[in-house]
Amino acid sequence: MGSQVKDVIIKPDAPTALMLDKHADYIAAYGSNKDNYEYTLSEYLRMSGMYWGLTVMDLMGQLQRMNREEITDFIKACQHECGGISASIGHDPHLLYTLSAVQILSLYDNVDAIDVDKVVEYVQGLQQEDGSFAGDKWGEIDTRFSFCAVATLSLLGKMDKINVDKAVEFILSCMNFDGGFGCRPGSESHAGQIYCCTGFLSLTGQLHQVNADLLGWWLCERQLSSGGLNGRPEKLPDVCYSWWVLASLKIIGRIHWINKAKLRAFILACQDEETGGFSDRPGDMVDPFHTLFGVAGLSLLGEERVKSVNPVLCMPEDVLQRIGLQPDLLS
Amino acid sequence: QHGRLKVKSTAQQEEQKRQEREKKLKIFVAVRDACFSKRKEGIWDDEALKLTQQVLSSNPDFATLWNYRKEILMHQETVKEKDEVQTIYGAELSFLESCLQTNPKSYGSWYHRGWVSSRMPKPDWARELTLCDRCLSLDERNFHCWDYRRMVVKMSGVSVDQELAFTDRLIGSNFSNYSSWHYRSTLLPLLHPESPEPPSPCLKPLLKEYELVQNAFFTDPNDQSAWFYYRWLLGRAEREDMISCVYVSRDEERVAVAFSRPVNSVGLLLVLDGQPQRVEWRSVHPRFKHSPLWICDLPPGTISDISYEHNLTVHWTEKHIHRDCALYTGRTESYCRDSAMDQELFRSELSVEKTSVLQSELQSCNQLQELEPLNKWCSLTIILLMRALDPLGYEKEMLAHFQTLREVDSMRSAYYSDLCSKFMIENTILKMEYAEVRVFSISDKNLTTLCHLDQLLLVTHINLSSNQLQRLPPQFAMLQCLEVLEADNNSIENLEGLYHLPKLEEVLLKNNKLIAAKHHQQSAMPLASCPKLKRLDLRGNPVTQIANVESELAELLPAVKDLLL
Repeated sequence: MGSQVKDVIIKPDAPTALMLDKHADYIAAYGSNKDNYEYTLSEYLRMSGMYWGLTVMDLMGQLQRMNREEITDFIKACQHECGGISASIGHDPHLLYTLSAVQILSLYDNVDAIDVDKVVEYVQGLQQEDGSFAGDKWGEIDTRFSFCAVATLSLLGKMDKINVDKAVEFILSCMNFDGGFGCRPGSESHAGQIYCCTGFLSLTGQLHQVNADLLGWWLCERQLSSGGLNGRPEKLPDVCYSWWVLASLKIIGRIHWINKAKLRAFILACQDEETGGFSDRPGDMVDPFHTLFGVAGLSLLGEERVKSVNPVLCMPEDVLQRIGLQPDLLS
Repeated sequence: QHGRLKVKSTAQQEEQKRQEREKKLKIFVAVRDACFSKRKEGIWDDEALKLTQQVLSSNPDFATLWNYRKEILMHQETVKEKDEVQTIYGAELSFLESCLQTNPKSYGSWYHRGWVSSRMPKPDWARELTLCDRCLSLDERNFHCWDYRRMVVKMSGVSVDQELAFTDRLIGSNFSNYSSWHYRSTLLPLLHPESPEPPSPCLKPLLKEYELVQNAFFTDPNDQSAWFYYRWLLGRAEREDMISCVYVSRDEERVAVAFSRPVNSVGLLLVLDGQPQRVEWRSVHPRFKHSPLWICDLPPGTISDISYEHNLTVHWTEKHIHRDCALYTGRTESYCRDSAMDQELFRSELSVEKTSVLQSELQSCNQLQELEPLNKWCSLTIILLMRALDPLGYEKEMLAHFQTLREVDSMRSAYYSDLCSKFMIENTILKMEYAEVRVFSISDKNLTTLCHLDQLLLVTHINLSSNQLQRLPPQFAMLQCLEVLEADNNSIENLEGLYHLPKLEEVLLKNNKLIAAKHHQQSAMPLASCPKLKRLDLRGNPVTQIANVESELAELLPAVKDLLL
């Protein structure tokens, strides 16, 4: 059915075995050559890039290969006077990178390396009258930022510092006819935003407000014949949606609505046997972003060689257990 | 990074590429450093604009440099005349246009454009709308552009009708329409806000909308977006908030209250014989802070004497709703509820007009299905139409269509099984109400999941045998009146839901998957919380193979006289 449905075809020689060692080597070496073109051009998101690399290494039990001290010093140097944290030295602070930094320090059980009270003050100050959060002082509003705010505060145990009810009200105002969520009220449903909003509702104890059957249907319809998942109707599959869609399904208790075997085969086909790492779809260039979400997706599918990953925060479960954070999930 | 193909090339090509990139990198680093050092010195001049422009035109995600430009522009506002500022911002818009042409999906570019437009002395919203038209004609699914358009519409007061007409044009051009249908879903309620009283004043536009969608999926049955939108149209009409059932039991001196949706217990008030009671409300499991069912215990002796009549009222203060329930002399229990039909639980009341429209649509979909037997959207829609028209009458056809769906769209067979289970449970609830009994029987129906458990508060006997259930979830504990559970021949490995069921006497779980494993006692553990349990049948479960299982269970469940292993 649907001869015009966009999809990819997995070649018969695509990888079928999980090459964890190659992926660990790829990440460990990434960024070691600071003269690399892609690396330098992605400086504007460096903090998130580090979070992706460190988290996937921890999931693979290889965190010890990374330089904890260098990373901690870098994060310290990125905290600004206002309390917010930037992607890299000299760049401006933003909620996205504040969350990534707190996630990294949580992995290392070293949150006190930065001024936590100032971080909380920064996050608090970004909440708007309608409950939404701006990403930074320049005022862009997006449900992604609401997620960043509550995730940051949850990891720091400071959720009481914002107006949670108002924040919830704003997120619910972004719920669409299909049960999904977009960037702002009126925005189209998108798997990335759905992940942020279901994650948000989990952290704020409001998952009962989700129409799990309706949203679960929309999410399981992301699976294409290739087994891969797209982010919204009529789009190509992408390994990162193995995270955004799968984690959302896990949060709302409907992960069994996806064909797990076919998805697993798609994710494995996105590996690069030569260089290690995962790409968005089979045959493309790899990067740390897709590597994390490929491995994290496999973890949600039950891959025993990888640590259990928490679907709300995309961090190893054992880290969250240590912190004492157990976000709700629907059954 | 998305969509970057890995291409194999010769050693010579590799070397050439490497040198080019090294050059590009050097330039990038030099300009970036120049930007940063100028900013550090607090310089807000044209040179700074030129430098940041160089980087941003090919790297629009470098957010810090957009910030720097905003600072520069804000400074210009303070030192230049209004018409000069207008010109400067005009130039900024031109620059942004070229950025968007190169990269139409950069959050930074779109936000900056919105920021500029709203600060300009004389914004040209018509021009911005035209820009959106052009951008959407290249990519109708660009959500950045749609969001920007929504902002422009808001700022310039474009009418809802105009925007609906715009979506009409896009939908008419026949491909990749999801964004347009989505936009319509937000526009319609603005024109036609629903009123809770039937006949709904928005019926006529709704029927027109059915026609519009129908045309779309009959023209192109593979156009997913139309089918998604149609499902929404079929399913609209939110239920009223209400207290759906109040149940009182003298034996346990307990009151159970069921609501139309999960609620928090704050603001629940129980009044007994005119006196507000100080009670603690609890849900069936401590982790449920929001629940459709709340229970409270009355002080001992309050209602236990069967020779006294009592009048109870439950107040849901937040909604200014209450429900009364009288407990008569000689009666050990009492309840008060609306039927599922009255609550419009499973389907909304249909007007004659709407019924005839849906019937003709069902006919058309059936015809379409003959032409396209592999089209799963059509099969699913037929099921939804039948549910809307006559859930019990079409039960057989519905089961046949679900079978088709599982074959035609096997990747999603787990979804279809769960959905079918849900509809069969709804039908069983309706049948139970027609029969006016408190027995819920749904045996040998391929049930894979349980739902609507909040509707089963009053059920005394439940038969779930010969299905494919894997667990009795925590919500099962909402069956506060349950006396007998028959669930033989399933795949149950988890009994979490059999938790503090006050009236449960008999549990039949032959041939399930209650396991041994390290926590073999835990499988049966919840049963220890059921005080009246007398008969337990666990034959044919892996747990019975454990040595000493009989004595361990006898210790765990001393009141069980009939233990079958």
